Amino acid sequence: MFETLKEILVSKLKVNPDQVTPESTKEDVELDSLAVVELSLVLETELGVSITDDELLDAETIGDMARLIEERSARV
Amino acid sequence: MSGIDVVVTGLGLVTPAGIGVGPSWAGVCAGRPTAALDPVLDRNPVRISCRVPHWDPGALLGERRAHRLDRFTQFALVAAREAIADAGLDPTTWDGARVGVVLGCADGGPGTVEEQHRILVEQSPARVSPLLLPMQLPNMLAGQTAIEFAATGPNLVVATACASGATAIGTARDLLLLDRCDLVLAGGSEAMITPLVMAGFAKMGALSRREDDPLGASRPFDLDRDGFVAGEGAGVVVLERAADARARGVRIRARIAGYGASADAHHMTTPHPEGRGIETAVRTALADAGAGPGDVQHVNAHGTATPLNDLAEARMLRRVLTGDPLVTSTKGVTGHLLGAAGAVEAVFSVLAVEQGLVPPTANLHTLDPELEIKVAGSATEARIDLALSNSLGFGGQNAVLAIAAV
Repeated sequence: MFETLKEILVSKLKVNPDQVTPESTKEDVELDSLAVVELSLVLETELGVSITDDELLDAETIGDMARLIEERSARV
Repeated sequence: MSGIDVVVTGLGLVTPAGIGVGPSWAGVCAGRPTAALDPVLDRNPVRISCRVPHWDPGALLGERRAHRLDRFTQFALVAAREAIADAGLDPTTWDGARVGVVLGCADGGPGTVEEQHRILVEQSPARVSPLLLPMQLPNMLAGQTAIEFAATGPNLVVATACASGATAIGTARDLLLLDRCDLVLAGGSEAMITPLVMAGFAKMGALSRREDDPLGASRPFDLDRDGFVAGEGAGVVVLERAADARARGVRIRARIAGYGASADAHHMTTPHPEGRGIETAVRTALADAGAGPGDVQHVNAHGTATPLNDLAEARMLRRVLTGDPLVTSTKGVTGHLLGAAGAVEAVFSVLAVEQGLVPPTANLHTLDPELEIKVAGSATEARIDLALSNSLGFGGQNAVLAIAAV
């Protein structure tokens, strides 16, 4: 799921791929609150996964976000 | 009037003639029209536009930065960066609190609005991007410029429709005369070639419908002119007080000797038939410059190529100016850059004054005899001590810059 999330961050939010590792924080990849809302929308349209921006903001790292997405998509 | 001179020390352009001052000026001086059929306007009643060629915002600004900016802001940042470098300035070391930003646009980011409106209608309000407002609000033009260049002084966007770019430069000059700051990034930017906006312009009857000959569509002052062609792009200048420019040893390109602003108070879109509003602005700019009606050698006219604008503007020039100045409209090449036009044409006027070269009015085949003004049909060398750059906006707003050689 990390690779899928990375692909979305790079292709849809135009994040620099070199910045995206499982350990990267939101600050490392320059995800401000607007970008997190944007990501929440993209996850829904691209993966059909519903995760609020508040939930994404609670994730410490990109790896944590990937785990959250994985759990949520498993439940679908 | 105040005894303080405000001068231009840096120029930046993004126009349909090219990205950068060099390619834009070369295209304008060569009289190469840029209008073409635009696939974005495929379903529109008029499909002609003048686009910035080879625009790659990701390469110019970084993919992440470009993704979060509407096109009109992207243009401005690229033009501002060129102007800052041209002025020999370094935003990493300047005192940002003394750097102002005054930019103009007619419409903000309609491209972003239309895209998000489509999502609202076709999908759901819940799918609308959180970037909608931060991308499309007109004031983001100056706000994003401040962020990009750490300019924390006075910061505003002015809206006088197609006079916005000139209004911005005049207003920026006022800030310097009042010592509100030491440097101003001033100009205008526009990216409103969208299906909705262009459908609106077409319904107003303002656009050229010469679809069988797009290159010949924008023909200011020509007998067969039939409307304007919309263009896009940005023009930015660095303004500072002459004493400051001399102290830091930078090349002074020209002086903004005078500024005149007025309103027609006549009709929401039609210019006053005798050009009374623009006349007031010209007279005010001349008085501000301490110049008389015979002191102008060159006019970069608003010259949109609509039948009404060109006639009213020519009548005014004939009535007010006595020195038989050489008039040109660079819109024959660039199309009408709307809120950016006044700024882009101010840059062309600075170059004309500096180089002693009046660019041609492209597509001028038969000068409309009713106009009775001297129009440059080809690039013409001339000594220019004082030039005027005229701008008129829907709503009846007028702005005139008097640009003097140094």
